[in-house]
Amino acid sequence: MRFSWLWLSLTGLLLVGPLFGEESLKKEGTSKKTEATVYEVPYRLTDVKHVLIRAKINGKGPFNFILDTGAPALFVSTAVCKKLGIEPDKKGWGTFDKFEIEGGVVLSKARGRIEDPFQIEGMNSMGLAGAELHGVVGYNILARYRLEFDFTQDKMKWTPLDFVPKGPEGMSGRSGGPETDAMVGLLKLMAAFIGKKPMPIVTPRGFLGIELTDSEKSVAIKSVLAEGPAAKAGLQAGDEVTQVNGKVIKNARDLRKQAAELKPGQSIKVTVRRDAESREITVKSGEGL
Amino acid sequence: MKKILSSLTLVVIFAGLAQGEGKPVKPVTVPFELLRSGHMAVQVKINGKGPYRVIFDTGAPISLLNNKVAKEAGLLKDAEKPLFSLFGTMGQVSVKSFQVGDLKAEDVNTIIMDHPTIEAISRVLGPVQGIVGFPFFARYKMTLDYQAKELTFVPNGFEPPDVLQALMSSIMMSGGAKPAAKVIGPAGQWGMTVREEAGEDETTVKVTKVYAKGPAAGAGIKEGDRILTIGGRWTDSLADLYTAAGLAKRGELVKVAIQRDGKEMEVSLKPISGL
Repeated sequence: MRFSWLWLSLTGLLLVGPLFGEESLKKEGTSKKTEATVYEVPYRLTDVKHVLIRAKINGKGPFNFILDTGAPALFVSTAVCKKLGIEPDKKGWGTFDKFEIEGGVVLSKARGRIEDPFQIEGMNSMGLAGAELHGVVGYNILARYRLEFDFTQDKMKWTPLDFVPKGPEGMSGRSGGPETDAMVGLLKLMAAFIGKKPMPIVTPRGFLGIELTDSEKSVAIKSVLAEGPAAKAGLQAGDEVTQVNGKVIKNARDLRKQAAELKPGQSIKVTVRRDAESREITVKSGEGL
Repeated sequence: MKKILSSLTLVVIFAGLAQGEGKPVKPVTVPFELLRSGHMAVQVKINGKGPYRVIFDTGAPISLLNNKVAKEAGLLKDAEKPLFSLFGTMGQVSVKSFQVGDLKAEDVNTIIMDHPTIEAISRVLGPVQGIVGFPFFARYKMTLDYQAKELTFVPNGFEPPDVLQALMSSIMMSGGAKPAAKVIGPAGQWGMTVREEAGEDETTVKVTKVYAKGPAAGAGIKEGDRILTIGGRWTDSLADLYTAAGLAKRGELVKVAIQRDGKEMEVSLKPISGL
């Protein structure tokens, strides 16, 4: 608990400054009924358990956003807006002609703050989330939908409401206020000492081109894709797989486990039983899925 | 850079979390107050004390209460005073009874801290004593309706991981050696090869080969098609495509949006058991 103040950088609680209130949106109201679509919005939890959703702005991206009812509005980083050529108005708001959330939610002329909340800057400076963050999706977007969270499912459900949210009223200072502004410095200083957590690198799995029979007791090759890596190495339909890289294989699950870390171009040794004879065949994996 | 940004392997934990068989659990509805600042506030009781008005924050991986509440609810005796403390932070405690509206949860991890943003909100909008976040709401299937100003909860068996540990391991990994590349594979076999093509500053993924008699061929996917989405997930990079294919179950139809000759279309494909 040595870095307990770091919690501050995680709460995602943002304010909109007093001068930045959106006059045009002060009234709450209803809009024309939209069709009763339910959007299934993919999300993931970041390394520090924020709900991360992705959005494309004017067709560019995807960018990573924290879903945050603790934020009164959409916040998009200054770096992203600069890259997209979106200028803030005098009060720091920007208009995003097409704001598209993964899963099919499309907003036109979405309004949002163009600024870098210290929470986002702080997490990015240390790489805490395990992904680069580009902003926060808050109240002025979220309130248009009935949102269903269920972390046992891999997607959220967003149902459009017949509702136009009131614009958030400003309070003090910018998103953080003077106390929290100091946090960015602190986090950056800490990042300078400890360093930034590297972002994960992923690589696709190597491809063999075999279809498997799914049985608990044994696993056989049901078919081999013509001209695929397995076919080239001489594996045939009907071969029963008994070992992979010297490890005994009992079923398809074992086989998948043994091949889980296979990188394209790497070879695996497959022992098969064919015509009551055991043979060892080395397959150089290829690219594909 | 793009590759890193989009390398979002799913870290959500889906471990055997099927809803309890037995009788359905009745949902609990909790009204919320929409503050002028755009925040949601709910009433909570802590170890039977209160009610206290707190912010309900889906963007908070922690729950948080101020020192005043902690004192009244007897939370401080278990709290460990940190070596370096800002804003009266007393560390994390496990709250025995954490009640939001009519919904009672037990043993909820909570940080004791006088959060400056909360204090700023309190000064303008009346007393606010803390934040309810992930450690509470992650235990439920939760519906948030701003129009009805209601939150609805049904237990879903999800056990929220300790965010404290997650944060610490995140910090420990900082500045360490580069992590080994993580290999992501599709859940089933598709029978095609793809290539990531770099555009101006975006990437796209196109099909480079479709194996005869494979699932992709059966679904009508052709060489040169751009894959737009798999199961509603964007597939603009190889990492994203493999992540989406990793979630497309064997033997189940998944919708694949493709672009061919400038036109968008949708096909359905059933990945088969294979490698």
